[in-house]
Amino acid sequence: MLWILLALFVVYPLAAMFGQAFLVDGRPSLAPLLSILALPNHRAAMWNSLVLGALVGVIGTAVGFLFAFTATRCNLPARWVRLLDVATLLPLISPPFTTSIAFVFSFGPRGLITYELLGVKGTNVYGLPSTLAAEVLTYFPIAYLALRPVLAAIGGNIEEMAFSLGSSRWRVFRTVTLPLTVPGLANAFLLLFAASLADFATPLILAGSRFPVLPTEAYLQITGLFDLKGGAVLSFLLLVPAAIVFLAQRYWVGRGHYVTVTGKSGAQSTLDGVSPGARAVLVAACAAVALSILYLYALLLYASVVVAFGANHALTLKHYVVIFTEGRKAIIDTLIIAFIGMPLGGLFGVLVGYLVARGEFRGRQAMEIASMVNYALPGTIVGIAYLIAFNDPPIALTGGALIIVACYVFRYSPTGTRTTIALLKQIDRGIEEASHSLGAGSFTTFRRVTLPLVLPAFFAGLGVVFIRSMTAISATIFLVSIDWVLITVRILENMTELSLGPAAAFSVFVIVLVMAVTSAISALLRRLPGPPGAASVAGLGG
Amino acid sequence: MAANPVAIRLEGISARFDHRVKGAVAAVDNVSLDVAPGELLTLLGPSGCGKTTTLRMIAGFQKPSAGRIQIGDQDVTEVMSNDRNIGFVFQNYALFPHLSVYENVAYGLRVRKLDDAAMRGAVGDVLALVGLKGYEGQMPHQLSGGEQQRVALARAIVIRPRVLLFDEPLSNLDAKLRVQMRGEIQRLQREVGITTVYVTHDQEEAMAISDRIAVMNKGVIAQLGSAEDLYQRPASAFVAKFIGRANLLRATVLARDGDRVTLDIAGRRHQAAATGAASSLGKTIQAVVRPEALAIDAAGAGASLPGTVVTRTYLGEKVEYLIAAGDETLQVVQLGPAEARRFPSGTSVGIRLPATGIHLIEEPEA
Repeated sequence: MLWILLALFVVYPLAAMFGQAFLVDGRPSLAPLLSILALPNHRAAMWNSLVLGALVGVIGTAVGFLFAFTATRCNLPARWVRLLDVATLLPLISPPFTTSIAFVFSFGPRGLITYELLGVKGTNVYGLPSTLAAEVLTYFPIAYLALRPVLAAIGGNIEEMAFSLGSSRWRVFRTVTLPLTVPGLANAFLLLFAASLADFATPLILAGSRFPVLPTEAYLQITGLFDLKGGAVLSFLLLVPAAIVFLAQRYWVGRGHYVTVTGKSGAQSTLDGVSPGARAVLVAACAAVALSILYLYALLLYASVVVAFGANHALTLKHYVVIFTEGRKAIIDTLIIAFIGMPLGGLFGVLVGYLVARGEFRGRQAMEIASMVNYALPGTIVGIAYLIAFNDPPIALTGGALIIVACYVFRYSPTGTRTTIALLKQIDRGIEEASHSLGAGSFTTFRRVTLPLVLPAFFAGLGVVFIRSMTAISATIFLVSIDWVLITVRILENMTELSLGPAAAFSVFVIVLVMAVTSAISALLRRLPGPPGAASVAGLGG
Repeated sequence: MAANPVAIRLEGISARFDHRVKGAVAAVDNVSLDVAPGELLTLLGPSGCGKTTTLRMIAGFQKPSAGRIQIGDQDVTEVMSNDRNIGFVFQNYALFPHLSVYENVAYGLRVRKLDDAAMRGAVGDVLALVGLKGYEGQMPHQLSGGEQQRVALARAIVIRPRVLLFDEPLSNLDAKLRVQMRGEIQRLQREVGITTVYVTHDQEEAMAISDRIAVMNKGVIAQLGSAEDLYQRPASAFVAKFIGRANLLRATVLARDGDRVTLDIAGRRHQAAATGAASSLGKTIQAVVRPEALAIDAAGAGASLPGTVVTRTYLGEKVEYLIAAGDETLQVVQLGPAEARRFPSGTSVGIRLPATGIHLIEEPEA
């Protein structure tokens, strides 16, 4: 059953996309590929995507490292760490283009900084620099989350050892800390590179026509020129680097980190890892980044409650009235889809995770990989593949809610799968054997022992599917129809129509809703009985 | 509690699997074993010897690739573990982390659909037995290691299993607690009288609690017997070295009259009462001499082996010496050492062999 679902919603769409891209009249051909590559604009898009990804990877990893290092080494007061956490959490749970919208408010032609403060007229916010900056601010938290545990695990005894051997702080950092972090840094870079490569919303708003990238080109090829074949080929071009990054990352992660060999970690180091001067610089840098994120979000909030940002700053709630009247359909549709997708995605994720971790059958690995594919691929590819696969009989789903739900379920349930696998790996098999030895059969054991123990993974999976259902755009923008509209798509329409107020109001609404649901789920997770470690494993990563 | 203890019988059981590198490997190779009703039998051996695999096959967690397993009159080889009515105590306790102490202990009773009143009574009794009354509402992660151990024990015995199986239950506890808990396990086992198989790699623990010990090595039982049997009459060099410490001296049997033997050890004649290696006249054998059976003399005294003290370790109630004698290094333990009989390292000494308690092993030197 799971195999059929995976084949239908993961393998088949990709195959259909390949067919579209490389079959001409039923025969394999490279002609579509060559004709697409012949256009300089598309070659530029490919190049731009790679450059942008590399830059976002390098800078984002650096910022993430800065944050992680500061959080783990500077003995910050708890309140400061919380500030860092909030600043990094916001971009993770927001719709992907909120930073971009705020950027327009801040640096656009009528932007707060460019127009109001500096008085520059006719600035052009669009292009590489702003896209880069927005993507770095949006995605560096991924690097932070990936690097923080690495740095925390390295700390303590190993560094004290180096100090005791007579190294200076800087020397310890250079010869011990940094080399040990290298695998983590590489991993973070690849994660960010992939995120940037897949990012659709930021370049759509900020890149402008002179800085085309692959996802937006593919989108325009399909929605502007109605050229499915061209879109498929462009997706394929995007697929190649994405697949390379995916494999490279699996390789790195598969090799594990150096950290694991250190065994039991010692007591938390009380030694100051940095000199007071360096500490001040680090904290200041982090505070600058954190404050600029908070500033952007504050700006977004402000823009949602004034009549017309940049022109008329009288307070008003009319944008909220607009989104709850004209925008009501989008809100209701999005919520319906999110609430249908949530339990399905959560359940599917846990089931696949359970089978992969505990099942004994051929093709377990294949199932794990198949379940991860849609998650790992850029959303644009998944969207286009679904569009191609389900547009015509035998399986015509486009235009309905089902296709959007399916897209979310298969794209975002892998978080639940991964959490389930991680939890089950933590849970000793002995616990299930203990249940057997006490006379319980397989079913009773599953119901009374295994299921309650993977419940945190189920809820974490629910949370992620919900958050992404509220905020995703790159895949589903190809799948919406007149009957089923999503909030994120409406925000994008508002942005292109320059009705910035409702766009800001929508964004604020989504962020508030997502935060409410996230904190409800974490509260629920905390109340679940179980080993103290379980809830943190189930944290809403990814 | 268990009115009629039952026997366990293993008939030629094996556990074979395909190893990635080594090919077909037998973790357990054709092992036969009878555990008497009410007995506490320990499977003892180094890691990888097959003891845990054997236990898991008795429990039904793993199917033997050959052989039969009998519990009482019933052949359970094909019976699922949940129908074998066993109590199993895991090395890491395997408490259900999401259930309270009460629910952990009651788990097996709920599976058996006991009514509430009877269950409360049974759980209360067994928690009193392991000294955990009042802990009913606690969660496993709030308990110390020793307390978790007791819960695991209570959970295993409350269902009145036919047999009780322990898989290195004390290895996660600190040394003092280990000694205390093994006493309690032994007391409980006597009290409830359940046939018990106990797995450990700790020979002292095995000797302290077992009626009989099966020493395992490389998937087979090297020797089966009481602690005294194993210590005084080890069947092989492996057992001699694994149970306590042993000096293995190459010797030739020059003459034998009953248990009186004349040995040639390092070119010196030695007469002693010895056991083992019955038909070894004229052969080169190994003489097992325990460190505490050797005595140290000042150099040149009598017919003792000459040697030089390599290290001397003072341990309070005893002193341990390593003494180089010829091409061998002997371990010698002086119990209740007197200040006058100090031999600092580098001292030339004589080692006196005992007149009794030598055990002979007939096998090529390992």
